Amino acid sequence: MIGLVALVALLPLLGAVFAAAGARARLAGTAMVIGGVGSLLAAIALAVWVVRHGHFEAMSGFVYVDALGSFFTVTIAIVVVLAGLASIAYLRTEEERGDLSTFQVRLYNVFFSLFAAGMMGAFLTGNLGLLWVLIEASTLASAVLVGLEAHQRSLEAAWKYVIVSSFGVTIALVATLFLFYSGAALHLTSAERLTWPYLFLHAHGLAPASVRLAFLLSVVGYGTKVGLVPMHTWLPDAHSEAPSPASAMLSAALLNTGMYAIIRFLAITKVAIGALFPDNVLLIFGFLSITIGVLFMVQRGNFKRLFAYSSIEHMGIVAVALGFGGLLGLYGALLQILCHALGKTVLFLSSGHLVLGYRTRQVSEVRGVLGTLPLAGGALLLASLAVAGTPPFGVFLSELTIVRAGFSTTPLLGGLMLLLLAVGFVALIGSTLHMASGEGPPSAVAYAHPSARVIAALPLAGGLVVLALLGVWVPSALNEILLHAIRAIS
Amino acid sequence: MQSLRQSSIEGVLLSLSSVVILLASFACLGSKLFNRYVAYYGLQSIVLSIATAIVAFHYDSAALWALAGLTFGLKGIAIPTATRRLLLRRLDMKRDVALSTGLSTALIIGALLTAFAYLTVSSRALPSGLVASSVVPLAMAVVLLGGLAMVVRRHTVAQLIGWLITENGVFLGAITLVATFPFIVEAGIFLDLVAAVLIMLVFVSGITRRLASATSTELRELHG
Repeated sequence: MIGLVALVALLPLLGAVFAAAGARARLAGTAMVIGGVGSLLAAIALAVWVVRHGHFEAMSGFVYVDALGSFFTVTIAIVVVLAGLASIAYLRTEEERGDLSTFQVRLYNVFFSLFAAGMMGAFLTGNLGLLWVLIEASTLASAVLVGLEAHQRSLEAAWKYVIVSSFGVTIALVATLFLFYSGAALHLTSAERLTWPYLFLHAHGLAPASVRLAFLLSVVGYGTKVGLVPMHTWLPDAHSEAPSPASAMLSAALLNTGMYAIIRFLAITKVAIGALFPDNVLLIFGFLSITIGVLFMVQRGNFKRLFAYSSIEHMGIVAVALGFGGLLGLYGALLQILCHALGKTVLFLSSGHLVLGYRTRQVSEVRGVLGTLPLAGGALLLASLAVAGTPPFGVFLSELTIVRAGFSTTPLLGGLMLLLLAVGFVALIGSTLHMASGEGPPSAVAYAHPSARVIAALPLAGGLVVLALLGVWVPSALNEILLHAIRAIS
Repeated sequence: MQSLRQSSIEGVLLSLSSVVILLASFACLGSKLFNRYVAYYGLQSIVLSIATAIVAFHYDSAALWALAGLTFGLKGIAIPTATRRLLLRRLDMKRDVALSTGLSTALIIGALLTAFAYLTVSSRALPSGLVASSVVPLAMAVVLLGGLAMVVRRHTVAQLIGWLITENGVFLGAITLVATFPFIVEAGIFLDLVAAVLIMLVFVSGITRRLASATSTELRELHG
């Protein structure tokens, strides 16, 4: 078992090992994808084991896997595989055009792998201190990806990202500290007092005032990583300046890692001081995020920023769903995390095609994608329909579940959410329709090599197929793991 | 293992060093030379390592002694030296003029934040009589002052030092409130800190080479 856990967390490092050893970009990229696929398979095996046998714990809680953790590992592993595939084609093209040097490509491969491994590790530990360490490590690795292109704009974005996130995560460390302190009266060793399952088991005995403070600080601290308003300021910059596959990783994987940490704190807090306070905190931050995200989506500027604001909106939706609580709310939140991750990966990867093909990031300068880059155009349109919540895609199902949860607790909030979702839908689809339709330039080439074109097409097609499948049919295995995850935290 | 009481000698020494740590963050907030920022940060870290040693002596814990050594070596010596060598000297940085408020306003806000930290933290979760009840509010104040330094100072180096001061504040709170996290976790936190400082130094020097001065006022290309 411990071997399987190690495989999930360490296989993504394969790419880093190859790249650091001086392998050429294509070999390192292939190693990255193979590592990712291996990690995904191991994660699925782990999830099956966890559903059958409950949780797994070793090394006094430093290794701890339950259904919630393995649900997140599978989700992130899928994103890593898709983004890893796209990276190969994207980097090759950028390198051939002279936009990136061989050294930069090597850096990318090393830090992409570290980033992936850091996040996978975060889901596999029960120790909240180690969770913090791994989340901060993944922040640092991803900051290198954001600043990779090393011109003024990307350095600015990377600086903003690393300083705002590090400060936020430091606040989360204070939260961890207070949670640790709240268990001072319990008869636990100091490692156990920082280990989630023990804290959760003894949550009734924790000091309420400290837990309350810890929860608030954790939402502010890890919320900075999630991109909850008003701690979101780094997010649009970092997403728009990073290379597109890295943007996909940020949006679909990193934000979810922050949300995972908040869910862990939430579960303890709900038992320790009741549901009212944490629910209200999440509802406030959630609605604020949806509102600001949607409002900024209305303007028509940089399309990668548009998708970034859509991520803020969706993380807000997840926070609201957690705030609604109950079986419906939690189920909707987890399903939303999975579907948003898939949809946003495809969306950011297709934006990579646009950036390479049109050499611009402005919505107004991109026309006729369906004609000039049919595959990217199709993926762009379908993925934005999916992310905006159109049936038959998965996001529709999860958002429907969340709105239902809203109407069953506070109908007014459910209605408000429906309204905001509608505005977000119009804003996103308006911009992507503008880009997809119309008269395009006669020649726009995203990927010159046929092989790069095939590799770049794979993740788009794969992501869309899975997303469409999830909309019409939640496989019983997924349903099972979602229910187990909810049981693990309530 | 008994908690540190306010009246014990260790308690008094710990309170004293935490006051020095607070003063160092005020000094950093009030100075205008990059060299000073780094020097005050180094001083603060060395005092912090002394405070850690006091706690380690009280609990007689090897992990805490190791932590005190790490704090002294990394935060007190290595990070300030690296910042001076790699950044200030190589890029010839001297005076920081990019403030978004006046110096005195910044200090007054700092005083208000300190008062705020006392009012919010001391009355709540902490038991009276323990040294934690006097030190944790100070640690909170240091956290807030670090944040303030990041806000009022617009230069990237100043923001970096501000974040490090915040981190020192968290650390001070940690050693007094809970003595120590498990050592693996503490070591991981140190590893992250060092990696973060290295990456930030690279970014700062990259930004400085592209712009005449690396103040965040000039980091204005991304908005909306």
